Amino acid sequence: MKKLLTTILSLGVAASAALAGDLSLTAVKVSDKLDTVSADSALWSKAKFSTVDLYPQTAIEFNDKEAIEANKANKGKKVQVAALHNGSEIAVLVKWADGSKNVQGIKCTDTYSDGFALQFAGSTKKAQPLPYIGMGSEGRPVVVHLQKATEKVYEPNGNKDVSTQINRQQTGVFGKELAEYDAKVASLANTDFERVFVGEGFRSLTEIKDKSVKSNASMKYENKGWTGTLVRPLKDDYISASGTLPVAIAVWDGAKHGRNGLKLLSSWVAINLEGSKANNAVVAEATEVSKGDAVKGKLAAETNGCAGCHQIDKSAPAGTMAPSLVNIGGYSTAAYLRESILKPSAVVVPGYNRNAHANTPWYTIEKGKRVSTMTDYSFLDKGTVDDIVAYLKTLKVEVE
Amino acid sequence: MSKRQLAMVMDLNKCIGCQTCTVACKTQWTNRNGREYMYWNNVETYPGTGYPKNWMELGGGFDAAGDLQPGVIPNLEADYGVPWDYNYESLMGGMADSNTFHPHVSPTWGPNWDEDQGAGAFPQDNYFFYLPRICNHCTNPGCLSACPRDAIFKREEDGVVLVDLDRCQGYRYCIAGCPYKKIYFNPKISKSEKCILCFPRIEQGLPPACAQQCVGRIRFVGFLDDEESQVYKLVHKYKVAIGLRSDYGTQPNVYYIPPTESPAKFDAEGKIIEGSTRLPIEELEKLFGPAVHDSIKTLKAEMKKRKETGVSELMDLLIAYQHSDMFRLDNNYYQQVAKENKRNPLAPVDTRYIAGKFTKAGGHH
Repeated sequence: MKKLLTTILSLGVAASAALAGDLSLTAVKVSDKLDTVSADSALWSKAKFSTVDLYPQTAIEFNDKEAIEANKANKGKKVQVAALHNGSEIAVLVKWADGSKNVQGIKCTDTYSDGFALQFAGSTKKAQPLPYIGMGSEGRPVVVHLQKATEKVYEPNGNKDVSTQINRQQTGVFGKELAEYDAKVASLANTDFERVFVGEGFRSLTEIKDKSVKSNASMKYENKGWTGTLVRPLKDDYISASGTLPVAIAVWDGAKHGRNGLKLLSSWVAINLEGSKANNAVVAEATEVSKGDAVKGKLAAETNGCAGCHQIDKSAPAGTMAPSLVNIGGYSTAAYLRESILKPSAVVVPGYNRNAHANTPWYTIEKGKRVSTMTDYSFLDKGTVDDIVAYLKTLKVEVE
Repeated sequence: MSKRQLAMVMDLNKCIGCQTCTVACKTQWTNRNGREYMYWNNVETYPGTGYPKNWMELGGGFDAAGDLQPGVIPNLEADYGVPWDYNYESLMGGMADSNTFHPHVSPTWGPNWDEDQGAGAFPQDNYFFYLPRICNHCTNPGCLSACPRDAIFKREEDGVVLVDLDRCQGYRYCIAGCPYKKIYFNPKISKSEKCILCFPRIEQGLPPACAQQCVGRIRFVGFLDDEESQVYKLVHKYKVAIGLRSDYGTQPNVYYIPPTESPAKFDAEGKIIEGSTRLPIEELEKLFGPAVHDSIKTLKAEMKKRKETGVSELMDLLIAYQHSDMFRLDNNYYQQVAKENKRNPLAPVDTRYIAGKFTKAGGHH
């Protein structure tokens, strides 16, 4: 009996390991309008929910001492994802457990909010390989929809335009007029923190402020968990989805000082639009399980000196010569890992001075482009590369 | 690396801790919601807790190898102090809930909470001096290195360090990275803000508000590559002006003339201990590094020379007979930059501070 149980358990683990993070899921086709869909909408009863694993993004260690401490023993997290589409819009729902509701206060300098983001691969003539999961990559843009839990924020002009923020002391009005001014400011105050960005590589992320993306995101906290929803067009200036839409999911935990690169991140997830012909190339890339041998790959990684520059073992100090690979298997596709081995300069994580200082750069700038100082491993035979990719895919922390 | 660098020198022997600079800066720049608690310029009593509380122990800066060090982001209430107000309106309008004048919160901390406390036992060996602090507009800014959004930049024209408010998304790594804690988080707009060296004034040939209003005339402002400027002479020619906590590796561009004169200590009988000085040199070394020895030596030698011969260029500089002589700001230079960039000479030379890089105009690159 014990043996049977062990077998069942190990089979279960193997099955979830094969699926986790390498998913394709289905956006159920509905005829309803989706623009007002929120967490409470009855429409979600029609959707198919799937589990996606998110891993701590650890390529770079940031310089916030308290955040480093709070994220030291960080594990991966399971989120529930569902999607609906009506031919012109797509609605995505992400549900995740979070023991504490954290909202960025407007009277505090060191608190952070919970949040979530959905990243879409942007329109590009050359679809493969998919953009870098973080900020996209040159020629392979990404569109990021970010929603954070915030308090009511005074933004007198209501346009998120900081250049016209005015302090009440400097309005030149007093008494009753000042009260009227305060009332007006309160009525214009912005309660929502929804942002849309476009990025083509690290440090390029730019907020789209010209209203050229018609989207609506929201978050709801109940039963010790968040539900985040996003509705956006299937086609606009930035993305053009037909058949399959590659999406990546990120969540932030304010209690762990989460913001920017301090987050939990999925690999690319292929969302097939029900009723349309799936894009098999995108599905294959998002769900590829490396054919290599991870044990041989570990040996090959050691022989080729990967650990000389990269942090592979979490107990080793964060590298100053290259990005950390501690969770790379969790949020990277096999295609990205293969590309990084064969063409190290295709995507260069810039690193910040904390990890890559002037004396030991992990890239140089040539003709305005970041060129990696990593050896080009294209001399390795295909089998060895597959083995290393298989090994790298095993590098990820436990999911709680 | 910027082409030119503006710098400020503050003579600590002349600072009387009157806070005129603080008020000049505060009234000029508290023009946006969320800036109320920020003191881009503050004057603290040294030794003391400082502002924000214990800023010297909060990390940031670079180690000897050039690696950015982790730091701590101060808390508004505990470390900066909530800016409190008083019940003026209810008292003035005769509708007082009580007839006493009181703050709207019970303050527990604020800038200058420990003003004039210093160290040592009064009257034997007590000592303190004032330390005015602004953003150091560093050559190797910790804030800039820490920003993952590329939202902090050093202006080519003059090395002023600014936040691009469009790119900034309020991550606050800059605050952790600045060893001086001279970059602040505006929680109302969720962006970082800081001393801008009064660049809109500088570009019109006017000194920063803190420098112009200084009643002690302690502040000199000019370009470091201008050999005629006082800052060049004090920093490079006489080497008497030294950066604050240069050991953080940020290469600060605000320099200090260390305090040289301090009273002697008293012994148990109240008699002066000849040759003693209350200001421990170790404290000055902690702030200004080993260069403080040579600086003090030069200052004392020049004082002696002045007494004996009546001539000392350094003393003349530090006395600053004419207030206007303390600022060598090149208005023509900025006008030339504006002309080269085909901008209106009255508009700021660099619009990134105000407008940011909007999606359509700037593109994503």
